[in-house]
Amino acid sequence: MYGVGVIGCGGMGRSHAGYFAALPDVQIVAAADTNLAAAQSLAEKYGARAYHDPRKLLDDARVNIVAIATPTPQHADLIEAAAKRGKHVFCEKPLARTLADARRAIEAASAAGVTLMIGHVLRFFPEYAMAKRLLDEGCVGRPAVARTTRNSGHPRTAGDWFADPDQSGGVLVDMAIHDLDFLLWCFGAAERVYCKALTYRGPELTDYALATIRFRNRVIAHVEGSWAHPPGTFFTKLEIAGDSGLLDYDSRAAAPLQVWRKAQGDERAPGVVVPESPLAESPYQLEVCEFMDALRAGRAPCVTPQDAYSALELALAALESSRRGVPVTLPLAA
Amino acid sequence: MVNVGILSFAHMHAGSYAACLNSLPNANLLGIADDDEARGKDMAARFETQFMSRDDLVARVDAVIVTAENAKHAEWALPAAAAGKHVLCEKPIAADIADARRIIAACDDAGVKLGIAFPCRYIPPVRRLKALCDSGDLGPFLAAKGTNRGRMPGGWFAVKALSGGGAVLDHTVHVLDLMRWMLKAEVVEVYAEVDRLMHDIESDDCGTLNMTFDNGVFATLDPSWSRPKTYPTWGDVTLQIVGAKGVAAVDAFGQKLDVYDDRRGATSWSYWGSNADLGLIADFIDAVENDRPFDITGSDGLRALEVAMAAYRSADEKRPVKIAELR
Repeated sequence: MYGVGVIGCGGMGRSHAGYFAALPDVQIVAAADTNLAAAQSLAEKYGARAYHDPRKLLDDARVNIVAIATPTPQHADLIEAAAKRGKHVFCEKPLARTLADARRAIEAASAAGVTLMIGHVLRFFPEYAMAKRLLDEGCVGRPAVARTTRNSGHPRTAGDWFADPDQSGGVLVDMAIHDLDFLLWCFGAAERVYCKALTYRGPELTDYALATIRFRNRVIAHVEGSWAHPPGTFFTKLEIAGDSGLLDYDSRAAAPLQVWRKAQGDERAPGVVVPESPLAESPYQLEVCEFMDALRAGRAPCVTPQDAYSALELALAALESSRRGVPVTLPLAA
Repeated sequence: MVNVGILSFAHMHAGSYAACLNSLPNANLLGIADDDEARGKDMAARFETQFMSRDDLVARVDAVIVTAENAKHAEWALPAAAAGKHVLCEKPIAADIADARRIIAACDDAGVKLGIAFPCRYIPPVRRLKALCDSGDLGPFLAAKGTNRGRMPGGWFAVKALSGGGAVLDHTVHVLDLMRWMLKAEVVEVYAEVDRLMHDIESDDCGTLNMTFDNGVFATLDPSWSRPKTYPTWGDVTLQIVGAKGVAAVDAFGQKLDVYDDRRGATSWSYWGSNADLGLIADFIDAVENDRPFDITGSDGLRALEVAMAAYRSADEKRPVKIAELR
């Protein structure tokens, strides 16, 4: 029986707790959050112990696995502290806010011999997994031009840490990084990136980035990340064109279930349509299962710490390009 | 009645322009001249007009439409301007900036109208986006993103001596013109990735441009010849404007039916939207007939060409290039 301690009991923490708890040999034994009420609420749901101080959770002997879903700047310290105590770590993306932090977290996990997996969940979304499989099977021939879109309203959360780019890294480091990881998975190492973004300079609660990446294999990729759309917006797109074909995905077109509800009480008010794309297995469940399989087998997970480092590095390179107005070549010095 | 001659059928759009002229009550396709005589005679028969020598045709018309290879735009346009005839020139205005300036100067000196064929300005969904931008409802502009992808057209398009460049030249200019028109701003700097990755041709076939406008807006543009043969249509023109108060996106050719035809063994998209070329030609004819300015000028053509040329230099030198460096 594995005991999971959840650090960071907001939306993602609660989500991961549910997926861990669904596994027969895993139970949630502890929860920590600087907002004690949030920790208590999660703890109560699973009969777990609530902590205010994550360090106390890390000293809890019943915790074998730490699931981290705190604001990004706290990731590295927690991964390091957990690893030093021999706990395996599942941590939300991005790996860290800086490359130096990322390096130290990876080294700590490696030295301790614990499993470390970062939540680059997009690889577990079946449409992206299938796109990768088809690409590898040659469905577009030699890939040439790729485009990704990930558009959302600005996320709001306790403390609004998302709105502080020093903490979140803005739309590139926090959200577009999903697509950066996917593109690295598809095409290998990036050579250089040129990016323009509103991070650090746009209007309040608005971020938007357009990045052009040249991969070492010569693929040219265009990445769009938006926190400039109205609240409630979320859609993604993927296109890969090659010398003998093209694959194309728009999440708005994959809405197999749509429900139009009339507004109750006011016949004239516009109703609400809620599209759904249900799956037998949630990608978030699949990623937790992969983490546990890797842990049990003593192997590296399919998303390695180095993969997470590369995604962060590309996001930070894009952010640097947007601030300096020049293309940035990879790898970056830590 | 405006008498018009079409000069060279090297560009496939000439056929559409000919059909438009034949459908307009105040236009007369008086003749076709072409340095490929067989092609010219074939087209004259198809469009029920005469094949003529350049000088004969130019002498007899009020206006010409130049649809030659990019590198030959100047050699067709200059004599027409010198003869006092108005010129509608296919995009890009020319294969290089020097030729573009010659064409503009010649028309200016002769006091004739010079229009550039950017038909996307006449697509109704595009015009709605323009009206929305003009209204201020989107708030101050922040960023823009455009695409004009297509199939590799083959022939002279991929031969640098005739085209001046491949996909980047062919497909930057339409969307760049729309961006300038909507944002009411000029590009100051370009960074581009350009390559030949998909076709066995001489010229570039793909790329992505990154542009900074003089009002602070940043934009990207994908001009690639990246639609495979099995793609259901020739390509696309899309433009998204991100403003402080909202985002608007147009798919200019999005009004289409999906057609599955076993006889052709293919899926295709059948566009039923309004005829942009007809809008363009009708407007140009009206401008000539009523002696009023035509909105899409040689300068618009030159500005768009400059961005494509800056993109090529940027890609070669792997650095952002200021438009001012080209002047």
